Amino acid sequence: MSGMFVEVAPPTLPAPIVAPAAAGGRGRTARRLTRRLGRGVVPYLYLTPALGMLIVWTYRPLVETANYSFYSWNLSPTQPATPVGWHNYHRLFTLPELGDSVWRTVLMIVGLLPFTIVIPVVVGLLAREVRGRARSVYQALIFAPFLVAPVASAAVWQWLLSPRVGAVNRASGTSVNWFHEQWPALIAITGVTGWHVLGFAVLVVAAGLASINGDYAEAASVDGASRWQITRWLTLPLLSPTLVFLLMTTVLLFAPQWTFPLIDSLTQGGPVNATTNVYYLLWEYGFQSFDAGLASAAGVVFFLGFGLVAAVLLWISDRVTVHDD
Amino acid sequence: MTLATDPPVTEPSATGPSATGPSATGPSATGGAPVTNFDAPVIAGGRSRTRVVVGHLTLALLGLACVFPIYWLYATSLRRPGDIYELSPLPWPLSLDSYRTAFDEVDVARLLLNTTVVATLTALGQLLTSLLAAYAFAAWSFPGKRLLYLAFVASWLVPFQVSMLPNYVLLHQLGLLNTLSGVIIPNVVSGLGVLLLRQHLDSFPKELLEAARMDGRSSWSTLWTVVVPNLRAALAALGILLLVNAWNEYFWPAMVLQRDNSVLQLGIRSFMSATEGNDWGPLTATAGLACLPIFVIYLVLQRHVVSGFVRSGLR
Repeated sequence: MSGMFVEVAPPTLPAPIVAPAAAGGRGRTARRLTRRLGRGVVPYLYLTPALGMLIVWTYRPLVETANYSFYSWNLSPTQPATPVGWHNYHRLFTLPELGDSVWRTVLMIVGLLPFTIVIPVVVGLLAREVRGRARSVYQALIFAPFLVAPVASAAVWQWLLSPRVGAVNRASGTSVNWFHEQWPALIAITGVTGWHVLGFAVLVVAAGLASINGDYAEAASVDGASRWQITRWLTLPLLSPTLVFLLMTTVLLFAPQWTFPLIDSLTQGGPVNATTNVYYLLWEYGFQSFDAGLASAAGVVFFLGFGLVAAVLLWISDRVTVHDD
Repeated sequence: MTLATDPPVTEPSATGPSATGPSATGPSATGGAPVTNFDAPVIAGGRSRTRVVVGHLTLALLGLACVFPIYWLYATSLRRPGDIYELSPLPWPLSLDSYRTAFDEVDVARLLLNTTVVATLTALGQLLTSLLAAYAFAAWSFPGKRLLYLAFVASWLVPFQVSMLPNYVLLHQLGLLNTLSGVIIPNVVSGLGVLLLRQHLDSFPKELLEAARMDGRSSWSTLWTVVVPNLRAALAALGILLLVNAWNEYFWPAMVLQRDNSVLQLGIRSFMSATEGNDWGPLTATAGLACLPIFVIYLVLQRHVVSGFVRSGLR
């Protein structure tokens, strides 16, 4: 029955373990043992490719980043790294850039919340009664920006927001130099990212609303609850798991990660660092200043920081969300 | 949840209590309705006419606002070079001059080919490793299972920017910098892929696996003759998601291919300058071409693409 599992087992099956059993003179036991060992190895064999890649390209570098953070090194293969203890962390926390980049990341998160939570919820509530073909056409349109390659979107928005010839400034009669003034640049980067991810949030909220059991609302309306009361006290609480999920993606994924290609191709973190968020700062330390130690120290700090934020958000989602069971 | 995309064999269990696991507190909890259908419950008061009209207006306006930049991208790329600065909503007369210039200045065909190779191989690699790992998690219990699964779940907490320096050094040592293999190889594992496929496999009827085992099939042949054929829809949806992600990937290629803009996402950059005075025609033409394959897939498989992405968010 399980003979085939032995075939899949590697030829390097630990022989010493099998040998003593065989020496015991009980061939059947030995064979059974081999079979059991073989079968025990099987799931690990299936796991090996994915796990191996995960270790080599995700967890090994994490450990090495922690290690680099105690050295001074300029990434050059010929230049040896010299140990400097906690010096990199000391530098990191005395440089103003760290605090500034965290602050700008927070601003980006706040700026994204209308796109990832407010508009999707409002639209979702207003459009609950649109069904059928029309609905899927609208949703197809709204979701499309999510699929646009980040650099392509950088290109089209650079064109739309171009100071003298761009459609936005000419249509609205303003002359804002969007990517070269500090606040407009931050607003533009946040807005373009928001445009990217809005469709995703709208669909997630719509799916969340669709999954809420209509019986509660019906019961409440029989009891004389108004439409607003039902929305406020029933629909929104039941939607809270979806909203916490969206908050989490905004904080951990959209604000730090999705902004990166836009920043890199539109502002390079400028003007005067106005659009340098935490991950762009890491990139600058590593590949513009070639300061591997400082970049690694910052990497470790941000990794721990985001881990902490994720833990807090998970805790909140456990506490706050109302489950529809 | 998306019954229409699921194979018939998983349907009975999809209504079971543990179909989507303990995390199904979210919108996927009640299953049933396909994601793209959204049969919202009729809330008190019924469907008054005004509400329906307001709903249509809201969605239509939002849809137009979202699509306008995409439309403008293609509209600009199709204008005659002299008309680039026109604001007329329809590009007329049409012209392919911008595309011609783009093809003259950048080897767009090579970029398209490279990007296709990179995205396809990355997505297939991720799909394969995810399938094998998810199969291990779903079909066996073994020591360390929870911990190993946690390793996949936690991998999204390690962003590229944290692991980039050691990975860059390793690629340098392997001689893979500035090669397409260097872009593909570090990416052939996807924590999300493992998670999603495991959820599908957990709702897979255990009797089928048991029956295959009784027939004397090896676990390997069970995987390919029993599991995969029944998982085709889920694999397709995940495959599309991974393909789109790989196609649009920017950070990693930008790092590995620093000296050579050999994929589309980087090719676009060569038309962009920080100062004003970009060559807008060829720039929008290249950007439009870079998005075109994804949009074609989207037009053909809209439901699957949307449900693939939304599902991934609803875990």
